[in-house]
Amino acid sequence: MNLIGLWTLVKREMKRSFQIINQVIWPPIISTLLYVFVFGLALGSRIKGIQGVSYAQFLLPGLVMMQVIDGAYGESSSSIFQARFTYAIQEMLIAPMSAGEIVFGYVFGSVLRTFLIANVIMVLGLVLLHTVPASWGLYVLVLLLVAVLFAALGIIFGLMAEKYDNIAVLTTFAITPLVFVGGVFTSIHLLPPVVAHLSLLNPIFYTIDAFRYSYTGQSDVGLAVSLPVVAALTAAAYAIAYAMVRAGYKLRA
Amino acid sequence: MASAPSAAPAIAVHQLVKRYGDARAVDGISFSVERGDFFGFLGPNGAGKTTTINAIVGLARIDGGRIEIFGHDVSTAWRQARRLIGLAPQEYNFDRYLRVREILMYQAGYYGLRPRDVAARIDALLERFALGVKADAFVSQLSGGMKRRLTLARALVHDPQIVILDEPTAGVDVELRLELWETLRALRREGKTIILTTHYLEEAEALCERVGIIENGRMVALEETAHLLRSHARDELTITLAHPVQEPPPVLAHFGARVDPQDGARLRFERLGPLELSEVLALLGRAGIDVEAVNTERATLQDVFLELTGRGAR
Repeated sequence: MNLIGLWTLVKREMKRSFQIINQVIWPPIISTLLYVFVFGLALGSRIKGIQGVSYAQFLLPGLVMMQVIDGAYGESSSSIFQARFTYAIQEMLIAPMSAGEIVFGYVFGSVLRTFLIANVIMVLGLVLLHTVPASWGLYVLVLLLVAVLFAALGIIFGLMAEKYDNIAVLTTFAITPLVFVGGVFTSIHLLPPVVAHLSLLNPIFYTIDAFRYSYTGQSDVGLAVSLPVVAALTAAAYAIAYAMVRAGYKLRA
Repeated sequence: MASAPSAAPAIAVHQLVKRYGDARAVDGISFSVERGDFFGFLGPNGAGKTTTINAIVGLARIDGGRIEIFGHDVSTAWRQARRLIGLAPQEYNFDRYLRVREILMYQAGYYGLRPRDVAARIDALLERFALGVKADAFVSQLSGGMKRRLTLARALVHDPQIVILDEPTAGVDVELRLELWETLRALRREGKTIILTTHYLEEAEALCERVGIIENGRMVALEETAHLLRSHARDELTITLAHPVQEPPPVLAHFGARVDPQDGARLRFERLGPLELSEVLALLGRAGIDVEAVNTERATLQDVFLELTGRGAR
């Protein structure tokens, strides 16, 4: 196994993230702060608590998930697409690096970026809202699973894309709408029954529900449902990304 | 830094086939390059040169045949094979997020080399390719010549046994071209095996001991450059006579001499064959024909190329 090659790719991904820090690290942190102030503290003061915590405290884990999903997908999809577009990815493809090492390197780079973003928001939650995860183990586990899931989806779409605009298709038409109706802002128990049932078809609902459990110790469908769903989605996405890179899909002629 | 087994050729390509849809970009070519050879790979655009190179380095999947690098199959023993090859591609493909020194450092990393183990080598490469002053610059701040030198430095960063250069002097000025030629000769003296694809036939002629010419995915010539020139090309000899003649002396006509139809004072030979120039001059003297001037035109690889492919290298 080429561990040095793998670590080199991870370092490269982190370096890239910090070179575009004003595009990819500050914006999710600042937008989360704005959500917390406007929706959590200003409007939320008129909403009674949900799941035994204030509305702002309920909102925070959902916002973390929203930024993790967006950050993980954005990191790997744009990085691999750019590397394909500029042919810089050939530096790795001619080197003794396996498909497993390349996929793991891109995914790990995304995970590190999203953990940084999530942890900064977590600290802000502690300072501003006096809330911290009730279960640190679950916090790390769900964060990891969701970051890997969306990093793998990023690789899949970064490989399939023929132009940069194609990458935005998943974000615009699937991820963003599904995040907004996936329980970031409200519990499904507060939704009309039909909409609540439809939410159960939304994969992103399970990521938010499982992550919120790490903060509040409560969830809408229970950890025994949400965690296996998230783990299965993550395994499937990772397997597809690996199979595509191993086959050299749009990488090797 | 990578070790190479002793007996096997540096590169052995057996019946290589690469298809794009129904088209066979490479159609069953075979050739080998011995350790320490300087091999030129020539052919018109679309002939299959870059496809073959890509199959060797792992950028193209192989549809038939096999390729071995010092005995390591590129499909099954790809890690060992790739460690032995350095590629300088025709198109610039640098990582835009890295500076010059980092490009070399990260490339070494992809080959499994730690930064502390290659730092001195990278310094030496930066110096060798006159990139030291630009070590902390981004590629966008480099001139075309510097970028070309950086591709070569990057190909060498893991100290490969084989260096493959795809059109290394395309679009560079004469001065840099000669400088790169000298660098390639130096690499050859250091024991590297070098494969060069080029449009410039004089480049292959000046540098390569052996050449392969590919046309429509098939190898149409594969031999030592000097032998190829002797066997396919014509050395043209023109003798300007003091007075026009109707016909050449019979003995010279037998060896291919003919009078220029536009100028009776010019005697031309397409190929001298067994005759030496001194013998030609002596025969003319014996026939009472005075000679004013002698002009020889050496055959070039361009002539061979035209003869074999029916067109010029483009």
